[in-house]
Amino acid sequence: METVQQIIAIVLLVLGTFLSLVGVIGFIRLPDVYTRLHATGKVSVFGLVFLLIAASILTPLTAWKGILLIFFVLLGSPAISHSIASAAYKAGVPLVNTKRDDLKSKLERGSGKDV
Amino acid sequence: MLLYLSSLLVLFVIYLMLTGNGSLSNLVLGLIVAAIISLLMPKNTPMLVRIDRLPRYLWAGLQYAVVVIWDVIRGGISTARIVLDPKLPLKPGIVAIPYGKKSELGSAFSAHAITLSPGELVIEIDSEGNMYTHALNVDETLAAAEAGQAKRTRLLDVMFDS
Repeated sequence: METVQQIIAIVLLVLGTFLSLVGVIGFIRLPDVYTRLHATGKVSVFGLVFLLIAASILTPLTAWKGILLIFFVLLGSPAISHSIASAAYKAGVPLVNTKRDDLKSKLERGSGKDV
Repeated sequence: MLLYLSSLLVLFVIYLMLTGNGSLSNLVLGLIVAAIISLLMPKNTPMLVRIDRLPRYLWAGLQYAVVVIWDVIRGGISTARIVLDPKLPLKPGIVAIPYGKKSELGSAFSAHAITLSPGELVIEIDSEGNMYTHALNVDETLAAAEAGQAKRTRLLDVMFDS
């Protein structure tokens, strides 16, 4: 039982570290604010979630505390990504190499204020 | 009364999870702390969790979690592939995903689910309920949006709108 738990924890650790790494690589490679938010705000967060599960298996930290932390991280991180992206869009940060922008036409049709 | 009981239950569960101690004295202390905090809440607080809908929450919430987790895994794999691909095959753009006029809580949860899955990021919601979503791969998001939104809407309606 002990070894099974440890093997699961190690797999989760490796997966979490890999996802964090993907987040950092994405942050360096992607071209603008919005695409970078995808890498840091999402992929890295899931890296963190896997690391937290591994931590609550491996350490004497109570498992419920880890689950509660995961819940709050998953609840909070999309709100943060959204508000950064929304603020950047309203401040006029340009989108690089965009294929399509539905929001732009919407804003021009209106009075230019908040939708 | 309903508001009071609902917030009491939520606070009590969070207290128990934080302390992780099931002894009787701890249960009583948690109940007292939760009761005092619930009493301090203003009367007109919007009710986020309704204790009388608990069975519905459990069943629909479980299905909802499965749907969202599946979306997250799918999105995570495709985003990781885009990032690690040497050619960086990006097709970024902002697409409007219709949601329709629903309760505020339902729209908030739907936007949360979209934003949670990697590769999609809600930037703005207009008054008609369209969600302006920034996507890493516009075609993929457009193809999956309709079906995913319908699935989530059905479950969220069960929980919050009826």
